[in-house]
Amino acid sequence: MRYEVRVADRAYRVDLDASGRFLVDGAAVAAVASEVVPRREWQISLEGVSHDVVVLTREPLRLLVDGVEATASAIDERALAASPNARQQVSGRHELRAPMPGLLRAVHVREGDIVERDAPVITLEAMKMENEIRAPARARVTKLAAAVGAKIEAGAVIVVLSEVE
Amino acid sequence: MGRRVRAPAEVGSERLRTFNKVLVANRGEIAVRVIRACRDLGISAVAVYSEVDRDALHVRLADEAYPIGPASPRESYLAIEKLVAVARRSGCEAVHPGYGFLSESADFAQAVADAGLVFVGPPADVQRLLGDKTRARRLAADAGVPVAEGTMESLRDLDAARETARRIGFPLMLKAAGGGGGKGMRIVRSSEELAPAWRVASGEASGAFGTAALFVERLIEHARHVEMQIVADEQGNVVWLGERDCSIQRRHQKLIEESPGPSVDDALRARLGDAAVRVARAASYRNAGTVEFLVDEEGRFHFLEVNTRLQVEHPVTESVTGIDLVALQFHISAGGALPLAQGEIGSRGAAIELRVTAEDARAGFVPAGGVIDLVRLPSGPGVRVDHALFEGARVPTEYDPLVAKIVVWGRDRAEALARARRAVRETVIAGVPTSLPFHAHALADPEFVAGRYDTGYVAARWDGSDPPELAASASLAAALVAVLARRRPPSAHADGVATAWQRSAREDALR
Repeated sequence: MRYEVRVADRAYRVDLDASGRFLVDGAAVAAVASEVVPRREWQISLEGVSHDVVVLTREPLRLLVDGVEATASAIDERALAASPNARQQVSGRHELRAPMPGLLRAVHVREGDIVERDAPVITLEAMKMENEIRAPARARVTKLAAAVGAKIEAGAVIVVLSEVE
Repeated sequence: MGRRVRAPAEVGSERLRTFNKVLVANRGEIAVRVIRACRDLGISAVAVYSEVDRDALHVRLADEAYPIGPASPRESYLAIEKLVAVARRSGCEAVHPGYGFLSESADFAQAVADAGLVFVGPPADVQRLLGDKTRARRLAADAGVPVAEGTMESLRDLDAARETARRIGFPLMLKAAGGGGGKGMRIVRSSEELAPAWRVASGEASGAFGTAALFVERLIEHARHVEMQIVADEQGNVVWLGERDCSIQRRHQKLIEESPGPSVDDALRARLGDAAVRVARAASYRNAGTVEFLVDEEGRFHFLEVNTRLQVEHPVTESVTGIDLVALQFHISAGGALPLAQGEIGSRGAAIELRVTAEDARAGFVPAGGVIDLVRLPSGPGVRVDHALFEGARVPTEYDPLVAKIVVWGRDRAEALARARRAVRETVIAGVPTSLPFHAHALADPEFVAGRYDTGYVAARWDGSDPPELAASASLAAALVAVLARRRPPSAHADGVATAWQRSAREDALR
């Protein structure tokens, strides 16, 4: 199985073969892994150097790497083939989701708009506070999935952005 | 006071007056904190819990615990009759309100007193006086304390706000007259922004405080938020216990607090202490409280408001003074006189508190609920963690997102910073996004490390991006885990000796 992986601003192509060997960008990697906490924490030894990696959250994927938090993503080739959008996810598709249930108080953009990095996109009211959700990068608004006044479920996609240069 | 080396005076618990049984009318880490003080003093602690808090840590640590209704605060932690009924039924002598919820409610303080119980905090009339933020401003001004320029009464309407804006100019702050805590507060930079800001602030204010009333204050740019801890007894003695710089904030809510304040010298500290005591005396203050000030770029200070409760950040002061503020609150409420005179209160070293909230620091600090499924908290020399975390704990979205406070102490600020960095690196909280990446960033930022920061820090210095220090080897290890983390849970038949890699490859083949 082949994966396109991103950690912070680095990209990797990772192949995992049937015998459990890993190839990274085509080259074999001598790695020893132990799963310290099932599905949560791994100890990875690379050429004698040991790294502790914890999965903090899965959606979005956040990893704690030797005590330092970094964003990551891993998309397998089947998902890439199945969804034309999946490849974009690696190359700058952003779904702005409601992190918790709330009320959509304001939408500051229209479909087709280009928004600058950190520009407010929507305002969500939750925990009695109004939270502005901002653009993670300079991007085009490709989809608005909810209207002002809508009650938003946790995890629901509200806006889809795709990065532009 | 000051940084002269001097051991804080001893206040042994055997000298303190206490109660037999106390109701802790709160939840989360502060309920745990108050229960701990009860344990230390031999007080029996009674907890309350809403439907979503049945398994919470405070419930398990208390001697008794009673359900008080649904998750909605209005039907549980804000339901005065239910809380008073639990206190009476369980035979409590006093009620500690913690912070937030009913801690600054004059009605609650009155209801507790009317039931023949002791409210651990200022009495209802003091709560009512200082809870009206414009009355508090008038009181401070009359006591000769400098007050930030603005209106001394609530504004009638938007037109009155426009008129005031013409007089004092932009930028300005619209603030709720009914309460603080960052709610109902908006910065207004131009006349066009005034009407929408008025709408949002008055809406938030009426939701949070039951009154939409607003007042105007001139915005002091590049100000530091410096507050002074005070304690007053029933006999009329008032002391100050030193300042906390709380300038690191998002949405006007604090993220980091420290003492001593990096910008506060002995002279300013003495003047702030004197001003805080004057405000406290003018208000006939009782129990622990905090007088908040803004300190401008020229070092002038301006009174903001009085928080008539124990503050979230009280452990900072406890760390440098060696005084247990919650124990002292019980002692004063039980009629005890302050065991310390002003001259006996010492301060040693430096303390920093990092608030760990269930908020996505990388996405504008948006609050997020969820289940904590891995937690590893820091310890070691100079590290204290006040929290309500355990594996499997649910972080409800109905309440404040604060889940833990990491409080470090060092002989000086540099040692405190080093311990803070160590503590953040040791901390693992998985399952919900947290404010920890922000703390890691601030502790590595030369500006914060040099103590050069003001209330604009978060906006100016934090963009939520990934840290630059991830080494190539660590990054590669993370990439492999990103792949492994996508696997389904290992099957029950998994071979015990298989490596994670082999299991992972096998699962791939089975898909």
